[in-house]
Amino acid sequence: MNVIIVPCSGIGKSYGTVTREAAYLVAEELRPDDTQIVPLSLLVLGDEDAQAAVRDAQVITLDGCKLACATVNVSQAGGAAAREFTVLDCYRRNKQFKPQGIAELNEGGLALARALAEEVAQAAEELTGTERN
Amino acid sequence: MPSLPQRKVGIVACSGEEMAEGTVTRLAALRVLEELRPADTVTICLPLFLAGGEGDRAFAKFYPTIAVDGCEKRCAARATELYSNKPAASILLDDVLAERGLPRPQGLRRLTPESQPVVDALAEAIAAEVDHLMASRWSRAEGKVLEASEPARVSSAGCACGSGIPVTRVQVNGRALEIMALDPILEMAYGQGLHVPVNSQAAGASTVPAQLMDTVRLYNTIPTEDDVAYVEAVAIAWQSFCAAKEQAHG
Repeated sequence: MNVIIVPCSGIGKSYGTVTREAAYLVAEELRPDDTQIVPLSLLVLGDEDAQAAVRDAQVITLDGCKLACATVNVSQAGGAAAREFTVLDCYRRNKQFKPQGIAELNEGGLALARALAEEVAQAAEELTGTERN
Repeated sequence: MPSLPQRKVGIVACSGEEMAEGTVTRLAALRVLEELRPADTVTICLPLFLAGGEGDRAFAKFYPTIAVDGCEKRCAARATELYSNKPAASILLDDVLAERGLPRPQGLRRLTPESQPVVDALAEAIAAEVDHLMASRWSRAEGKVLEASEPARVSSAGCACGSGIPVTRVQVNGRALEIMALDPILEMAYGQGLHVPVNSQAAGASTVPAQLMDTVRLYNTIPTEDDVAYVEAVAIAWQSFCAAKEQAHG
């Protein structure tokens, strides 16, 4: 079964962009065979397919700020995040990568997204029990 | 003089991560916010509607919003209406593509170069709608654009700053306090299920739900030394409002 990745979807700050970039890295490059992004907008709207997806699968949430929209919305949809990641925690572990930019991340932001994606991919591996190809 | 949020238009983009159209809505919204109309617009975070973003919900309740959607599911428009207020305008990317004869965008994480004109066209459409709304009379009480000949139905006076926000005057211990946007705030609180407890009404006690007072503070700068008087004023207005509602309902 696929692991569902839910990034925060925020558009006003760099950290939101980092979560989205990290989610794409996991779903498109690092673990394309067993991860899938569910957009937060569908959960907010109460889309039945999106809600079922987060209820029936292992979910990893990526939040950009303390309001934790991704985790909260997954919970509101009846799911439970198996793993919760925040960009700020990842940044604390990788302070050399300072993210800037929203529409386009700077090099630090892209590197931070890569670091976060590696952590998420590792978590997905632990949840599925299958090593990365 | 209370300080008020400057009149702005909120942009709610669907931002759907699973399709290129969602990426286009996000980038177009950012283009408007950062380059085309930075002084007139703010972002409203769609996920915050559910995650407890009271400020975002309150803004969308009282100010015009433009929902920008990438597909027919119209997550931004429908969720904004569900949790706050009907958007003043709703833009669907498909309509812009059809009007301009543009190709469907490609790319999720990175849009293809050929998709860039789609972002430009959508950003222009949003900016045009911002201009239209900024030039229109907006009723915060009714959450819609007022027609030129349509008078506002709110009985309270309009603010002298010209923002259109209704002002309610409440007498407390012989002192008249002016509170911005009180009527629509009370209406919203009542609609959210907040009511004055029956025993409180009977005893004549003045109580104000904390979240109601928080919303009042969002639209009014209350000097610390006047806080008690303002709470008392809101309590009087709230009790009167609830009593009128219950009387109307029989």
